[in-house]
Amino acid sequence: MSRVFVVQSEAVTALGKSIEETWQGLVQGLSAVQPVERFRVECYNSTQAACISDLQIGPEGSRIDPLLEHLVHSVGKVPSETELFFATTKGAVDLLEHRLRHGQGQPLETIVPRVLAERFRGMLGGEGQVQVVSAACASSTIALARAAALIRAGRTKCAAVGCADLVSEFVFSGFSALRALSPEPCRPFDRSRTGLTLGEGAAFFLLMSEGRMRKEQRVPLAEMVGWGTANDATHITAPARDGCGLVAAMQAALAVAGLSPDQIGGICAHGTGTVYNDAMELTAINRLFGLRRLPVFSVKGALGHTLGAAGGIEAAVLLECLQRGTVPPTIGLVNPEEGAASRISSMGQETTGEWLMTTNSGFGGVNCAVVLKKAGDH
Amino acid sequence: MAEVTGIGWVTSNGMGRGKDGFDPGTGPLPQITRREVFTEPFDRFGRMDEFSRVGLTGITLALRDAGLDEWCERRSIGLFGSTVHGCLDTDMAYFETVIPQGGALASPNLFAYTLPSCFLGEAAIRFGLTGPSLTFFSQTLFDPAALLSGLESLYTGECEQVVAGGCDVRGFTGGGPYPQGALFFVLERRPRGEPRYGSLDLTEGGGLICNNTPVTTLFDLVERCLNVRSDR
Repeated sequence: MSRVFVVQSEAVTALGKSIEETWQGLVQGLSAVQPVERFRVECYNSTQAACISDLQIGPEGSRIDPLLEHLVHSVGKVPSETELFFATTKGAVDLLEHRLRHGQGQPLETIVPRVLAERFRGMLGGEGQVQVVSAACASSTIALARAAALIRAGRTKCAAVGCADLVSEFVFSGFSALRALSPEPCRPFDRSRTGLTLGEGAAFFLLMSEGRMRKEQRVPLAEMVGWGTANDATHITAPARDGCGLVAAMQAALAVAGLSPDQIGGICAHGTGTVYNDAMELTAINRLFGLRRLPVFSVKGALGHTLGAAGGIEAAVLLECLQRGTVPPTIGLVNPEEGAASRISSMGQETTGEWLMTTNSGFGGVNCAVVLKKAGDH
Repeated sequence: MAEVTGIGWVTSNGMGRGKDGFDPGTGPLPQITRREVFTEPFDRFGRMDEFSRVGLTGITLALRDAGLDEWCERRSIGLFGSTVHGCLDTDMAYFETVIPQGGALASPNLFAYTLPSCFLGEAAIRFGLTGPSLTFFSQTLFDPAALLSGLESLYTGECEQVVAGGCDVRGFTGGGPYPQGALFFVLERRPRGEPRYGSLDLTEGGGLICNNTPVTTLFDLVERCLNVRSDR
């Protein structure tokens, strides 16, 4: 069994063009949620989202290529013999919108996420097939888990995971139709929460086995020690109220890591701000971790819900938490939901834990948890 | 090594399982009714998009072939699917409801099926499957990506059983006729009885081998499995 190390991480969000800028915004309590100008929102039950302010449409006709190019500009090329993963929910869905609105544009065959993933591979200078993972809002969390599992099993020594999703009218209208959008910026884990706020962004991770990391003289940012995925088998668009799927995913991640719940020092929750998601998460976290002090936070009040990119962006934030010994404030939280008050705060919280967890849940009942360990001496 | 214990499919030439006679074809898919697949009422089946109906039917037939379609308690069985186009037709149908009247008529029911992993969620709900569930976008129909990931899941102990395969309902990739439909396999780490279709394993190079013969597509695997079965 090979150990799995994170040797590079980056994120582009509506709060910053790098994880450093994003982190600084988070700890300052900033929110990137603004009125949407990209498309008309008069008929929807929200007017706001966390859009990247100067994200232009690229030559391919989509905003997602410039987003990925910016990400790759920061991370550079991947090493040779790197297994590539890419995660998204809707990819270049703005290409589809344009084609359907105007009856022209990119051929349908080129709109699928695999084609976007191949462009991403080209930007990274990667080789071979890209594994393009789609698992709703847990897509990038699951891609990270699959990549880590391949390294642990010795089937590859190096894997890169990229993820991206846009704020699009396609998704905005859909969540509006489902009555899941909050009219105001979302308020994760607050008693007065009324729904989610959409966001956009991208993230990148380079994972290596211990041997490859030493050979390339890379410095570990963290060790990826656990991951688990489970379905709650309950409803397509709503979570199981008892949190059974999330509990199973967290238990599986702890089992892979060889940890007990007591050893986890903090959790980056999915925390969308919908009534049912946040209640389900609190139920699951309380069920598994009991009532001990455990800092929990959500970044979605600041960054919006970035869909398939959420897991990657949140894992990048979690790396910062591990390195800095603190978790950021949960923006939008004023009056914590019952059972959240001792854990979730509108202020930053110190965490002394060596292991932190991040979780995501999504349509189709999917849940995924990843555990990162603070890098030691290597 | 894993045992292949169930096979289910939907193709332009019909649907079937096990030794029924797999025939991919390249024409349009049949319209699947609930009565053809489920004997009991299942209201949601009629509300699903075609991609989900075809995918769920393939999974149902594979589970039925393996004797795993009936259940009392939820089971940690994984679901791994691959697709070229995913739910692109549903995406288009959904956005056509957004365009008029500034999105005021957007269909929540269609939106719920605009993810290529939703049919796996439907299968999870229908059969109480609580293992991992994810879809891969692949280059060709019935690419083995889902099988490879399903096998990895068995080998790492994530699950004891997985359903893995592919689904597509768009019969083209820009050049000529192209098969469409669903083809799923049940793979088990520990066989529950007599061997059925043979064994599937990963090679050193990361490829697939079934009964000592390399397989590169899901088509290869079904042919290999059914030949072995008739040999036995």
